[in-house]
Amino acid sequence: MGFPKEGFYLKRVSGGFALALFLVAACAGFMGLKLETDKILRAKIPGSSIIYVPSGKFLKYATFGYSALAADMIYLWAIQYYSTYEIADRFTYLDHIFAIIAELDPRYTDPYEIGSMIAGQEARDIPLALRILDRGFAKNPDMWLFPFEAGHIAQRQLKDFDLARKYYEKAMVLPGAPDFTKRLYANAAFKVTDFKTSWETWIEVYNTATDDRVKKIASNHLYQVKAEMDVDALKEAVAKFKEKYKRLPEELSRLVTAGILTSLPRDLDDKDYVYDAATGYVKPPTMWWKR
Amino acid sequence: MKVGTIALNTFKEAKRDRVLYLLFFFAAVCIVFSRVLAILTVGDRVKIIKDVGLASISLFGVLMAILMGTGLVYKEIDKKTIFTLLSKPIHRAQFILGKYLGLALTLFIMTVLMATIFLAVLFFHTFRVEWPMLTAILFIFLELMLITAVAILFSTFSTPILSSIFSLSFYLIGHLSWGLETLIKKMKPGTGQTLARALYTFLPDLENFNFKTEVVHGLPIPPKIFVYSTLYGILYAAFVLGLAVWVFRKRDFI
Amino acid sequence: MGNALKIEGLHKSFSTGFIPKKKEILKGISLAVEEGEIFGYLGPNGAGKTTTIKCVLSLIFPDRGTVEIFGRPHLSSKAKEKVGFLPENPYFYDYLSAREFLSFYADLFLLNKAEKEVRIASLLKLVGLEKAAGLHLRKFSRGMLQRVGLAQALINDPSLVILDEPLGGLDPIGRKEIRDIIVRFKREGKTVFLSSHILQDIEMICDRVAIIVGGRIINQGTLHDLISEKVLFTEVTVSGLAPAELAGLGESLSVHGGKVLLKVYDEDRVGRVLDLVRDKKAKIESLIPRTETLEDIFVDMVRRT
Repeated sequence: MGFPKEGFYLKRVSGGFALALFLVAACAGFMGLKLETDKILRAKIPGSSIIYVPSGKFLKYATFGYSALAADMIYLWAIQYYSTYEIADRFTYLDHIFAIIAELDPRYTDPYEIGSMIAGQEARDIPLALRILDRGFAKNPDMWLFPFEAGHIAQRQLKDFDLARKYYEKAMVLPGAPDFTKRLYANAAFKVTDFKTSWETWIEVYNTATDDRVKKIASNHLYQVKAEMDVDALKEAVAKFKEKYKRLPEELSRLVTAGILTSLPRDLDDKDYVYDAATGYVKPPTMWWKR
Repeated sequence: MKVGTIALNTFKEAKRDRVLYLLFFFAAVCIVFSRVLAILTVGDRVKIIKDVGLASISLFGVLMAILMGTGLVYKEIDKKTIFTLLSKPIHRAQFILGKYLGLALTLFIMTVLMATIFLAVLFFHTFRVEWPMLTAILFIFLELMLITAVAILFSTFSTPILSSIFSLSFYLIGHLSWGLETLIKKMKPGTGQTLARALYTFLPDLENFNFKTEVVHGLPIPPKIFVYSTLYGILYAAFVLGLAVWVFRKRDFI
Repeated sequence: MGNALKIEGLHKSFSTGFIPKKKEILKGISLAVEEGEIFGYLGPNGAGKTTTIKCVLSLIFPDRGTVEIFGRPHLSSKAKEKVGFLPENPYFYDYLSAREFLSFYADLFLLNKAEKEVRIASLLKLVGLEKAAGLHLRKFSRGMLQRVGLAQALINDPSLVILDEPLGGLDPIGRKEIRDIIVRFKREGKTVFLSSHILQDIEMICDRVAIIVGGRIINQGTLHDLISEKVLFTEVTVSGLAPAELAGLGESLSVHGGKVLLKVYDEDRVGRVLDLVRDKKAKIESLIPRTETLEDIFVDMVRRT
């Protein structure tokens, strides 16, 4: 005669079962709530997640030798951060963040490219874009890509051919730079009316060209440069003539007989330049790109 | 109430722990020091005090929760005081719950103390009591409650050092939930993504308790999130404690 | 009278070590303790005494077997309310005072305030710690801790008191005090289950014993049944006689300051010693017949297994 043992042990088993049920219910509960809280949008201060951004130098020491890993992580985060267009003022720390990545892993080239792209195309801060590429080049003087891209940005966005020329000059001597970098340089030099440099460079391109197409391009550009120089010289002579004789010369040979020029320049194909006596305009017989 | 008895006894034990007062001291130093830092900044000085203050309460609170919680159950088992205790007519679940509530009480008092110092320092700067800060502090406390439950869970089967590491990992994972979310968005739809999403929903999201930014910048907080976050915290803590009871109930104490 | 404690077929193994190796500690323990008796649980160290007790108290869950306390399954709350337990070494909260300590356990039994006060006071008096009521346990000596532990075991006025090595580490006065308290329990109608390896004390107070060796009960029963009352030998201490004169009557154990201690094996040889003493007008200092003791059977049994 005892107490209902089976009933008691059943209670213990059911106690365990009840606990298991409770665990499942609680788990389902909080998972459901998580889905709910995700739906609620929280007000975000722009850049609030990075309110206190420490300096790169500090981080380098703080990451205990894992600076390259830290650079990767921060770069990954930065990509997500800058693709989140809702954060309206996300460019506030753009320079700083990419400076940190550069400090942590200076030889990691992607961030410089992407950083400059974000700066240039999204933040519309061209000087910053160039600064980022400069930083990349300073840390990686053997990478042709940085001055190459900087040259393009200077040329296309800023229309600053002098700056572009400086960049292309740096890029073209580095190993791995594409051939046409030289051509870009020559072209930029031309645009800033540095005809001497432009001529010399195009000669070099012509001489080192490995296929006919490049030779043709070089030749055309040489024509262009010479034509420009010659036309300028002729225009100057015409102006001198007009000053002296108070009228335009009838034809270009008059400039020689008047003693202003020793001889008439001819274009690269050894053709005469075209002169319009009525207006005084000089122009080359063919357009350089139509040759 | 048997749970209450154990809770009170735990509280008596906890309040004698020197680590608690050491951490509290550092928290107080940080909060007061933020006043000094504020002088160094240009512009809105109050912000630094608020930011440092809330961060201190949060950080030191988490340290208190972990350092005390991980030792709580372990000490009873290691010092064998648990023998006399469990031979009395109490369920092991009551033991776990009592320990938890005792530590909760301790942390509550510590949070109140830290909050008082914080509000006092603020008061001497702005000459008014910054009540909105309490919202953030309340949810910091809720987060501490969850961390405590986790610390106790690990304490039921692991040594204090390992338990501390696990608890800290829980805290870090809880604050990096957004990272997983971003990753999931980039994944291709399929089983991989579904599993990742399930994992993401299961893993803790402690940012649900983080209202520091809103409170410091005076941004509006949608009232729904108060309810949801509180319930989230309660249910998650209940789940973790349930797990602790699960581990504990069939344990042999040699 | 029913059984205060009934254990049947208790088995317990533990897996220990990095590569878990199963070690069987309890290999089928069965015993019964009747209400109102003092039951001794003996065994060498490592036999499984403490493991058995922990199984009874649900600190350990057995692999197989049943335990009943006053007819109830041992895991039920009702069963535990009637049990008091004193563990082997005192493991108590050292930051509490004696009174706070007892109050804590009293609260776990949901005693009301008035009842609590009365009981704590009387228990402290019982174990002789009235003066140390406000002292923190940290400052208690080993003996004091043992006594406060005993008080804690009685806080719920249990019907079954389980004591694991209660007399270990105590001085002779302490041991006597505890023994007296245990005997008092019996007078009050309580049942006592105590484990020990100090056999003299067991012999003095226990009604029945069980001997456990290597996880098995090798013998169980009343002391009376286990120990025959046959006299093994008599120890006689005589003064005034030279050892040479007593030669042949017994084995001389020691000679000290004029006294000779003899071990006499034969009953009639004892008589002859007495005759000799009377004749020579010497003096009998003492005469002690030695019967078989618990220690004898114990050692014998352990050696046999």
